Amino acid sequence: MKRFLAFLAIFILLFTSSTFVHALTAEEIINKRDDNEYLETARAEMEMIIRSGRREMSKTMISLTDKQNSLTEFTNPRDRGTKFLKRGDELWMFFPDAEDIVKISGHMLNQGMMGSDFSYQDLMESDKLIDLYEFEIISEEEIDGRPCYVLEGLAREGKEVSYYKRKIWIDKERFVGLKEELYARSGRLLKELNVLQVEEIEGRWYPLRSVMEDKLRKDTSTEVILKAIEFNPLIPEGTFTLENLR
Amino acid sequence: MFLTKLAIKNLVRHRNRSIFTSIIIAMAILIYIFFDSLIGGMSELSYETIIDYESAHLQIVDKNYWEAKDELALDNLFTIDERVLEGVKNLTGILAGSRELNFSALLSNGIDNLPVMGKGIIPEEYLKVFALEKQFVEGDIFQPGDYKAVLGKRLAELLDLGVGDYITLLVKDNNNTFNTIDVEIAGLLHTSNPNVNQNIVYLPLDLAQQALSVGEQVSKILIRIENKDQASRLAEELGLNLIKANSNLAVYSWEELEAFSFLGAAVLEKQVILAIILVIAAIAIINTVILAALERLEEIGMMKAMGLQNREIVYTFVLESTGIGIIGGIIGIVLGIITIWFLSVYGMDFEALYGVDMASFGLPILGKIYAAWNPAAFIEVFVFGVLVSLLASILPAYWAADKDPVESIYHR
Repeated sequence: MKRFLAFLAIFILLFTSSTFVHALTAEEIINKRDDNEYLETARAEMEMIIRSGRREMSKTMISLTDKQNSLTEFTNPRDRGTKFLKRGDELWMFFPDAEDIVKISGHMLNQGMMGSDFSYQDLMESDKLIDLYEFEIISEEEIDGRPCYVLEGLAREGKEVSYYKRKIWIDKERFVGLKEELYARSGRLLKELNVLQVEEIEGRWYPLRSVMEDKLRKDTSTEVILKAIEFNPLIPEGTFTLENLR
Repeated sequence: MFLTKLAIKNLVRHRNRSIFTSIIIAMAILIYIFFDSLIGGMSELSYETIIDYESAHLQIVDKNYWEAKDELALDNLFTIDERVLEGVKNLTGILAGSRELNFSALLSNGIDNLPVMGKGIIPEEYLKVFALEKQFVEGDIFQPGDYKAVLGKRLAELLDLGVGDYITLLVKDNNNTFNTIDVEIAGLLHTSNPNVNQNIVYLPLDLAQQALSVGEQVSKILIRIENKDQASRLAEELGLNLIKANSNLAVYSWEELEAFSFLGAAVLEKQVILAIILVIAAIAIINTVILAALERLEEIGMMKAMGLQNREIVYTFVLESTGIGIIGGIIGIVLGIITIWFLSVYGMDFEALYGVDMASFGLPILGKIYAAWNPAAFIEVFVFGVLVSLLASILPAYWAADKDPVESIYHR
């Protein structure tokens, strides 16, 4: 009997401790993902391939970001010199041919950026997801052989968010998002993001190739390929100013 | 008296010349009347198409609505008490009033999407203010509570849609969160207003309010009045009335709205064009009158040799020329009346005639343009024609009369 009790005690101890190790809360999972993917400051070189039916367009760009601001400059021949500046809640665009700065606001924000499946609004998101959404683990699934947590986030009361609900598939071991679905308040799926390739860069897992699909359009997708990224670079003061946009 | 008789005799004696000169003046007058009336018809039509399908005569909006109007933000909305609205509708001179909620949306057919302007409306109210009922080319209007929409045929064609098809409107609600509205197309419209045909999607107001999370709020109350010239007065009266109910409300008449000040600028442009036509007409008249005087140098020399004073010669010539002006004016006016009568009854279809889409000139016009009657223009241009021929003849007459008769007779 004693032995049985001791066995039981050890069993309970083992069982509970093991659940302690594995049962991460949704918040912890998101935070672990943010450790990998949330950028304090970064300099990235990217390529964007916009597919629409049989047409394909490729755009390359260099982007600088800090928490609230970002500056993106296109480098492919057709759009060379076109720049986007995000300052807090505002988005400005510079057209080199017209030498003109345009503020993108209102309903223009909902349209596809440079014809892609990303809206301007999508570029504007910079807050940590955990501040905006209430997450909950809803299931566990495998994506391309990798076990994932499936999290569902609903917009927190009083927070201004574009998508009322998002579903995120997060790799259980590497804590990097592998898939994301964005929903309207009506429950309709608006956008779907699939991560095709992740890589460990400077000790953090980061998506290298991902594809965004606008679900309100057919046969369109936008692939974003990260060519190079530098975490925490030195960004000169005055980078994120309108003067610098010209 | 003798001189006056002489002038009249001269008119009759040189019958061909008198007729030809008058016809030139008549043509100048006719062209002016034609353009004036056509332009009048155009602006009348553009006013009507905007009033009938978009702006109504009066608009009640929040004071700050117009400042941020282009963004179609959901910031400056207001609610109106049902009783206050009834009170407004019952005011003398007011025919009907209708609530409207404006928002921007992305219209999707599942394959592609287009930015459009959404309007949440209550059909029963709305059709009393706007002449949309007879403009349905397919289907019909929806009822409150229906998950249905109405849009322009042009817009539907762009997205390959028809009655019974489902569309999705992607909107941003009051919290800036995306929402979608899935509706069936109940009817297609084709109006003379291009904006309605290709940019606007009408939805039941309650559906729009719910999807945009704006409660019972609306963007505007649009009002139709009996007489459009009373708009400013009624706007003022209504404004004073409403301020008691809600001090944030303001009333605008159609003349004050942006679309119309733009048209006003176009009117200024038209006046410049008309002025140019007048100058050309004046040059034609002056030219003919001067030539007519020069041609008769010998005759003037002879009159002078027979003892007529300079003054008397000038008088005869000016009188003759004025006579020509009057004859030309009358012919021009008669031709003008016939032309305008014809155009006001049968209209002129620019699109069919020249393949020109007036909408591409920024004029909100589709279909035929009907000439407008403008009696003032008839009088003005008649007086103008007579005055120009009178003034134009003075100088050459003086110059001719001043010449030595011998030189005049043997001027070759």
